[in-house]
Amino acid sequence: MLLSKIITKVHDKFPSVTLDTTQFAGEDIIHIQGSYNLDVLKLFRDNGFNFLADITAIDNLTLGGFERFAVVYHLLSHETAERVTIKAYVPEDQPELPSAESLWKTADWQEREIYDLFGISFKGHPNLIRIMNPDDFQGHPLRKDYPRLGRKERDDFPVVKRGINKEAAQ
Amino acid sequence: MQPDDIKSNILTTTLESAVNWGRKHSLWPMPFGTACCGIEFMAVLAARTDIARFGAEAIRFSPRQSDLLIVAGRISIKMMPVLIRIYEQIPEPKWVIAMGACASTGGVFDTYSVIQGVDKFIPVDVYVPGCPPRPEGVVDSLIKLQKLVETEKFSDYSTTRGK
Amino acid sequence: MVQGADKPMDTERMVLNFGPQHPSTHGTLRIIMELEGETVIKGTPEIGYLHSGFEKLGEYLDYNQYITITDRMNYLSPLCNNVAYALTAEKLMGLEVSKRTEYIRVLMCELSRIADHILNVGMLAVDLGALTAFLYGFRLREDIYDLFEIATGTRLTTSYTLVGGLMRDIPDKFDEAVIKVLDNVDVVARDIETLLNKNRIWQDRTKDIGIISKEDAISYGLSGPMARASGIDWDIRVQEPYSRYEEFDFDVAIALNGDVFDRYLVRMEEMRQSVKICRQALDKMPAGDVMVDPDLGFSLPPKDEVYNSIEGLIYHFEITMRNRGMTPPIGEAYVATESPNGELGFYIVSDGGRVPYRVRTRPPSLMNYSIFPKLIEGHMLSDAPAIIGSTNVIAGELDR
Repeated sequence: MLLSKIITKVHDKFPSVTLDTTQFAGEDIIHIQGSYNLDVLKLFRDNGFNFLADITAIDNLTLGGFERFAVVYHLLSHETAERVTIKAYVPEDQPELPSAESLWKTADWQEREIYDLFGISFKGHPNLIRIMNPDDFQGHPLRKDYPRLGRKERDDFPVVKRGINKEAAQ
Repeated sequence: MQPDDIKSNILTTTLESAVNWGRKHSLWPMPFGTACCGIEFMAVLAARTDIARFGAEAIRFSPRQSDLLIVAGRISIKMMPVLIRIYEQIPEPKWVIAMGACASTGGVFDTYSVIQGVDKFIPVDVYVPGCPPRPEGVVDSLIKLQKLVETEKFSDYSTTRGK
Repeated sequence: MVQGADKPMDTERMVLNFGPQHPSTHGTLRIIMELEGETVIKGTPEIGYLHSGFEKLGEYLDYNQYITITDRMNYLSPLCNNVAYALTAEKLMGLEVSKRTEYIRVLMCELSRIADHILNVGMLAVDLGALTAFLYGFRLREDIYDLFEIATGTRLTTSYTLVGGLMRDIPDKFDEAVIKVLDNVDVVARDIETLLNKNRIWQDRTKDIGIISKEDAISYGLSGPMARASGIDWDIRVQEPYSRYEEFDFDVAIALNGDVFDRYLVRMEEMRQSVKICRQALDKMPAGDVMVDPDLGFSLPPKDEVYNSIEGLIYHFEITMRNRGMTPPIGEAYVATESPNGELGFYIVSDGGRVPYRVRTRPPSLMNYSIFPKLIEGHMLSDAPAIIGSTNVIAGELDR
């Protein structure tokens, strides 16, 4: 089905959920409310968009937008070679939305990465623990209010003592 | 034996020089390659730049069987405990070469997650600049390390704890 | 007959730690395996041992500076990353590059593809015990490194593209050097296939190991040789062409079984197709310049204009000073390219300033590696290096 037909279908079926439909550089972007992401994704999947290329998140602290966090899904249709971007907005005080792992298995690790780096949790995820940072890491690094140089985690290791004369002389 | 035969067949030296000569020409490296410098290190081992010419022949991936640790690549905060553990498992005498900008000072990655130089936590003997260093640079560092090994003494490796 | 020989032997489950420092894990991977005898019951990968905060750096470095960081992601084929990021930035800013730029980018991408596949086949062979293929492959890779050095200045971390074009044009007589290397690629590929294809040990260790079905490949988001070896006919260079790939004539290699042997065959065939594309690129190379017009405000003007005219000087300062820089439009762009591992895409969000607001890499290695726990179940411990090797997981791209 052509992408424009699917977008009108989304508007018809979920009128209150769809916040906006924009275009930039020839691509379509659909902005929806976070808690209804599974319904919209399932609609796209049943209409030919069978491949989930990427899930990521954006922290809209200084950019502005409907809410603070936006989880971005990039979908691809193998039959018609069309791509669409779906942005699901999540508020700051309750950053959680349903997990897409039930639809595509690739969402498993990518949602863990979003949880690790942004702090957005996913309901229904089988194993939501940190994936990139160590397990005892505090904070969520890719948020805009986390400093790039970190909070002293990289200086927090013991200095190795060899216990020989060569070391004492240095 | 005639005195002339003795002169041309026997070589006298100190025990330290002999031991250092043996050590410097048989430094067996253990590559701790994490990132791009690991690929350049593989090129050092391959045919064009061949580190086996200098005695670093036996690449052992076990710390118990090697004496030179080559840290090639950026070390993240998750990997640092692993590096410290491996370093402590190498028996003395041991040396460390920090290959590349990331192992020496953190390189381009001044972020929350990259250690800004392994010499903050383990002692390093030779630093190789470059991102990644050319294989000839790594060979040059090995030669510098050999010059360093020449000047060592036995008393360097005796323990400072308990007399 | 021994008493009790028909009773099954009960063994205790052993938990074995594979990595993160291990000769046959390519880079810093860790797998926690539960073994019953030699059979793996469960293998849980743990990643993140090379996490360096690339995406945080993207919010601090400007558009042209970040190209040096993209080299360090997939360090076996750095030019493909440079081209992918430049394409995304150009789509965001609405720039059209010259035809010569696109042909040179195609040539460099395909040379990187040959280098990546030959190293992957070499490392897979080394893990399974066949050392000769690695040595042959590395000699060829050194020749390709020489070509990169002639064109870009360094062997590995090239940073060759800029937003709007290339850093410098290829020198004269470059095409003769490339043709000499391309003639050698066929010889080396034939040598490696003679050693490995009909080898009894190779076939026993790679056939019917790690079979991926078509449905799993789509559900897990696989792309590149891993998906094509399972029968999925999707190559971005053909279906969604970028950088004038539609003007080149080449075939796409597809296999049907989806095991390690098929992935190896697909990579060898892709190398041959890359040679074909490189020859066409050299034959049809158009003349022209390799940077967009400086009047647009995204590229540096030529040096004689900078020193001799006031507009040149102003444009130079507008781009390079810290409180100025490029002014992209507010928006976002996602471009997917076909890297040797699969679909490599960059997603850049801009708020109009000189640095991007968010840069995201779509890492093919992460998706390709996420199917590993499913593949290793039921296989033996010594199949693990074969499966990891065929996945072509590169730690720099996996962890970013």
